[in-house]
Amino acid sequence: MIEKKRALEKIPTGIEGFDDLTSGGLPRGRTTLLVGGPGCGKTVLALQTLVNGAREGTAGIFVAFEENVDHVIANGGRFGWKISELQKRHLYFLNAQLSPDVVKAGAFDLTGLLLGLEAKAREMGAKLIVFDALDVLLSLLDDRAAERREIYRIQEWLARTGLTGIVTTKVEENEPPIAPRFGFMQFMADCVVQLRQRVDDRVAVREIRVVKYRGSPHVLNEVPFVIDKAGIEIGASNGIHPEPQLFNDRVSTGIARLDEMLNGGIYRGTNSLITGSAGTGKSTLSSLFLDAACQRGERALFVSFDENACDIVRDLASVGVQLAPHLKSGLLRMEARRTESAASEDHFIRIKQLIREHQPVCVALDPFSALVKVGGEQAARNAAERLIYFCRNERITVLFTSLLEGRDAGLETTPLHVSTLADTWIQISYSLCGGERNRALTIIKSRGSKHSNQMRELIFSDTGVTLTDPYTAGGEVLMGTLRIEKENTARAEHTRKLDEIDHKRRELEVIMAQRDLSLDAAQRDLCNRTEELDTLTLAEKTRTDERALRQDTAVRKRDRKLVREKGADTKPARRKPRARSNPKLP
Amino acid sequence: MSSPVPPTGDSRNGAYVFRLYLASGAPNSVRALANLYAICRKHFPESHRIEVIDVLKEPLRALSEAILVTPTLVKVSPAPEQQIIGNLSEENEVLRALGLPERQTE
Repeated sequence: MIEKKRALEKIPTGIEGFDDLTSGGLPRGRTTLLVGGPGCGKTVLALQTLVNGAREGTAGIFVAFEENVDHVIANGGRFGWKISELQKRHLYFLNAQLSPDVVKAGAFDLTGLLLGLEAKAREMGAKLIVFDALDVLLSLLDDRAAERREIYRIQEWLARTGLTGIVTTKVEENEPPIAPRFGFMQFMADCVVQLRQRVDDRVAVREIRVVKYRGSPHVLNEVPFVIDKAGIEIGASNGIHPEPQLFNDRVSTGIARLDEMLNGGIYRGTNSLITGSAGTGKSTLSSLFLDAACQRGERALFVSFDENACDIVRDLASVGVQLAPHLKSGLLRMEARRTESAASEDHFIRIKQLIREHQPVCVALDPFSALVKVGGEQAARNAAERLIYFCRNERITVLFTSLLEGRDAGLETTPLHVSTLADTWIQISYSLCGGERNRALTIIKSRGSKHSNQMRELIFSDTGVTLTDPYTAGGEVLMGTLRIEKENTARAEHTRKLDEIDHKRRELEVIMAQRDLSLDAAQRDLCNRTEELDTLTLAEKTRTDERALRQDTAVRKRDRKLVREKGADTKPARRKPRARSNPKLP
Repeated sequence: MSSPVPPTGDSRNGAYVFRLYLASGAPNSVRALANLYAICRKHFPESHRIEVIDVLKEPLRALSEAILVTPTLVKVSPAPEQQIIGNLSEENEVLRALGLPERQTE
């Protein structure tokens, strides 16, 4: 019967970074060998895997050949693992140290132990077993052939029982990972993981490497890891970055004029780099960015390196940025990190944890370049890069600053070499001109966004931070006093123009008032004359009427006389009254 | 389930009492049992008792009694208790562990 070849099944360790490196965890039903010098974290890695499994209901057995089980459990407790609770059902610890009083008299083997463990595993339904410090047990054999035989016995036993095995063994620091002694062990294991601890620039650096993994893709590189309060944390990923969904909305930098220069702000979910030498205002810009975020009601995280949070809050109040209310409301969280206290990897892990805890939308890291101060440049670059990728995947808008030092400051290079990763790069430099040092801001790049190419002066005052209008003279951007002079001239000119207009207006107002008065007088005159005319007309009419009456009377007298004499038909004549002219003026 | 082997010779209470953990059928275990019998016969034929525990039959007992390797011999009495691991082919080691004079090489 042909057995159908099954795909390699994996059992997750529950250590995110490790499962990433091994594309899913340890080979199920196979043996994994953890090798490394003393204090490398082999036991922690094995125990953490066991505890994580037990939490998920996968029962496991821990066989301690070197350390006392009570110590192992106590150490696990320091990482917050509730081992005693898990021991009730899913965890079994076996003290497997031979007492120093034991006398060895002849050859022996592990048959008894394995039979006991097999029965125990069946009883509790265990799927996972750890043999911690197998080298201690093997050293009792002091015979190469016997060692091999017992290693083979364990492997055969694991294969038969179907348990997933984790075997840890010490390798001296300068011993090559595939030393003759453990060559056989390496061969029997399907997965070999090497742990290392070294000191780089006075800081301890832990590194892990998956040396081999039969039938599975894995990351071959040595990657840093830390052992912190929750156990082993591996920051590295498998290098596969899912494409995060892009945002189309923009986020304010906290400076309205800078937003204008960036065509409306920075894209949400991108990262921005601010470079500049000491005192150029990188921290201030970082805070303004977070202040704006908090004002929008978004959660924000400020990670400062080598500067206390309270100092930053106080200093920013001097330029009108009030962070205290945001801290009080809980929207803003500030974390001050000491660079000399830990390796860059520890910082990376801690920041990652902070992000997980606080769930910020906007993050500022200031000065991010401080990471290179301790523990090696390469490690720092690596951590910085991964942090940026992490934030990008979490769709967090990040602002990180980089201190430029020395004569190279003008070269616009960053010690972390992160400028290529940055979506937006803002440079603040000192402009030395006219006996002054002024802050000049330029946007070096802003991906996918139109942006101003102008150099602007960055002004800090009690009332806030802003960028000036660009003043150029003779092809140079004017700054400081020169700019103020130019501004003053412009302002004077403007005032003069205003004065002129005002003056003209007043003149016209006077003339108009005068005209108004004369208009009034003319009106009154006209009225008087009209009245006079009316009077005259009336008088004239009266006179005409009287005369007509008189003529009438005379005519009637004459008519009567004529009638009396010969009779007559003459009609009396009447005058038409004169038309009155319009009293209003045109 | 223990399978006490009947003591050879006359046994007295309070004499040498041994417990031998072994995996029946395993070469080292088979040799250990034979070696133990031989030592007992030779050095205290009148006063010993041997209890044999087969881990194949009682696997959890060995585990709970902190027996790591097979074969393991435990001298229960006289006190103090003493553990001897291995197939007991190194007789001098066994005798030294039991507090008996070593056999002189002839």
